Amino acid sequence: MSVNAWDSDLLVAPFPTTDPARRDDVDRRLHAVTAPSHARRPRLLYGVIAVAGAVAIAGAQMGLSILMTQGSYELKELTTQQRTVDWQKQILEDDVAGLSSPQYLAANAAARGMVTGQPPSYLRLSDGQIIGAGKAATGTSSIDALKKAAVPNALAGGVPLATDPDSSLASGVTADAELVIDPAVPPAVADGLPTPNTH
Amino acid sequence: MTTRATRSPRRRTVIALLVVLSVIAAFVVRLVDIQVVNASDHIEQSRDLASGTEITLRGTRGDIVDTDGSVLATSTLVYDVAIDPQLAAQGIKKRDGDGNVVIGADGKPEMIAWPELAARIAAVTGQKAEEVTAIVVDTLATDPDSQWAQVERYVSTETYRELAALDLPFLTFTAVPSRTYPDGAVAGNVIGFLNSDGDALEGIEKLQNACLAAHNGTLTYQRGRDGVKIPGTEVEKAAVDGGTLELTLDSDLQWYMQQLISEESARYKAEWGGIIVMEVATGKIRAFAETSSVDPNDPAASKAEDRGSRLARFSYEPGSTYKPVTAATVIEKAGLTHLSSVVVPSKMTFDNGAVINDSESHATETMTLTGGLVRSSNVAMSQFGALVDPQTRYEYLTRFGVGEKTALNWSAEPDTGFRLLPEDWDNQTYYTTTFGQAFTVTATQVASVYQTIANGGVRMPAQLVESCTHADGTVVTPDLPEPVRVIEESTADEVGLMLENVFAQGTLADDIKIDGYRMAGKTGTAQIYNGKGGYKKNLYFTSLVGYAPAEDPQYVVLTVFDEPKKERMSSANRSVFKKAMTQVLKHYRIMPSESDTPLLPLTD
Repeated sequence: MSVNAWDSDLLVAPFPTTDPARRDDVDRRLHAVTAPSHARRPRLLYGVIAVAGAVAIAGAQMGLSILMTQGSYELKELTTQQRTVDWQKQILEDDVAGLSSPQYLAANAAARGMVTGQPPSYLRLSDGQIIGAGKAATGTSSIDALKKAAVPNALAGGVPLATDPDSSLASGVTADAELVIDPAVPPAVADGLPTPNTH
Repeated sequence: MTTRATRSPRRRTVIALLVVLSVIAAFVVRLVDIQVVNASDHIEQSRDLASGTEITLRGTRGDIVDTDGSVLATSTLVYDVAIDPQLAAQGIKKRDGDGNVVIGADGKPEMIAWPELAARIAAVTGQKAEEVTAIVVDTLATDPDSQWAQVERYVSTETYRELAALDLPFLTFTAVPSRTYPDGAVAGNVIGFLNSDGDALEGIEKLQNACLAAHNGTLTYQRGRDGVKIPGTEVEKAAVDGGTLELTLDSDLQWYMQQLISEESARYKAEWGGIIVMEVATGKIRAFAETSSVDPNDPAASKAEDRGSRLARFSYEPGSTYKPVTAATVIEKAGLTHLSSVVVPSKMTFDNGAVINDSESHATETMTLTGGLVRSSNVAMSQFGALVDPQTRYEYLTRFGVGEKTALNWSAEPDTGFRLLPEDWDNQTYYTTTFGQAFTVTATQVASVYQTIANGGVRMPAQLVESCTHADGTVVTPDLPEPVRVIEESTADEVGLMLENVFAQGTLADDIKIDGYRMAGKTGTAQIYNGKGGYKKNLYFTSLVGYAPAEDPQYVVLTVFDEPKKERMSSANRSVFKKAMTQVLKHYRIMPSESDTPLLPLTD
């Protein structure tokens, strides 16, 4: 509501009533009229309120603007941090790239003396029956993932194996001889299968 | 009635109105011209002239993953390092520990000379110090005002950050999108690779570029003097990343098959070899392995002929692996059973004058249809096949996929199919088509024939691409041909039983037996066209294809060798087939069979 509207309301209010029914009484007995209250005073008050409001709005806008600018500086800082972290992430990813590749894992396993390619046998838990050939592994691997590594990977090429730091996927160094168990001589079973002592 | 007097002011009004309207119209035309017709030009002009900045937002090319989600190809960034030779030659001011410029005896700041700075750069990039020094010296020698020279291309993020840490104002770095393949050459033949500009050159990268390619966006904004973005001025057109492409391949199985085929090809001195593992129920290819696959991280390390997939592009006359097709045809169209028999000499001259030989001489005997397959007798299959007219045999071969394109839709797929239509078949072709000659197929098509038989007579389209998941999450599956019922289920069962007997009673039985499992399959020793109207002498394209477990078929395994020289016939494929099938059965935890192959009579 505008200031002018306020003013006009106030100007109208103090005038004596113009009810025609009471007109006669007024005419008969004259008496002093109280002076109407000063109408100009509220104008100043509301003017002050209006100006203060405008100032407050301007102030708030400036404040917000400052905060936003401040925010964009913070944003810039955080963006810089983000970029640094992205770089670190990229560097770390580059470092481990290729280490999860199957040929690298298999070369590691081969360096440990592990073999693959035996026909599977399954132990059925319900009745303990062995399903499949149930024969011992022959001890020779169907493939040689280390010495004859044939699937290159530029990312893991010269990386030392985790299980044998002296060799890598490209170098094809042999596995330690003592790690390979001679399948012809299985360990003797003297007193049945070893069982853990439990209480 | 209008008089001259009344007309005159009205005319003036009309003229004034017209003038006003024409002016408005001119403005409207100009407005439309500025806002609509030439809007883009003006926007561009405003960008060039104003203090705004436009940044290209690069989308990332999508990943390629295997069926388990392990990443086979992904995108990363590498950096090009450039130098301003003019600035570099001036050196930089020496600073003490607190970062203050060191002033020399002559009152001028002490400088660090270029050769010393070059040595620092070289220590990071791994180049020689003289090399780096020479870049600047040589460039300035040809053009003293030069402000740009290349130091090194495609350095890693680590090198880039170390170079940036040297704090040399004359070095600039440009990020270049790059592709990395964590598993190296695993499935390299299928995945293909990009060139250094990021264009797809081979394989799935090229075939599925529409799924994988990203679309760049832009970001424009105004900047304050200190380089900070002025809030509220950003206009962003977001980049759209490429989709994630899922293959049907299993990377672990694929690696094993590649390693295996490489070792075995070397052992049998074959030109090259390949293994395909296909899922019976779906036609999905789980391994597509061949020798000398390219490492997409470094395609230049491979010979040019090794950079694509031979296995997908090679076609050959399949030979004996197509004898089961003849068996299926005569069961359905001539009413034969596995017990039907013919008299088989090792060499036979037919009524039309055609002469057919068996690969090994044997005594004349009465062979059943099963015997014809188990002994892989050309003479027997010729006699059985001749019971059905050529047109019907042609139709059956076509229904089994001969002459069609494979659903893989590979680039540069070979032209396969019949050399002659059945009405043009000559006397010899009339019989040779019963044992896989006079037409060519791809290895994938051979695998599909056995998938069809193993799947109760329904051929599923061979499939390498599982799906494409776009950046917005929509999943698109490839548009594949419909499954085809090729033969009746009962026919497929009977042919399957005979193929089981090939493995149980054939000469290869002991070599390929996997304890506990029933298997079915067939060998093939295909002659190779010598390009001069004949066949190569004593050199063959050998194959062994089969599926297991025979009573509930799960996977087809196809192994091929090109020109093995240690053993020249399909017997070369026995050990590779056995090892490949063993690995498949183990990899997919397929339980051993609980019954034995019922043995069928081979002779009558």
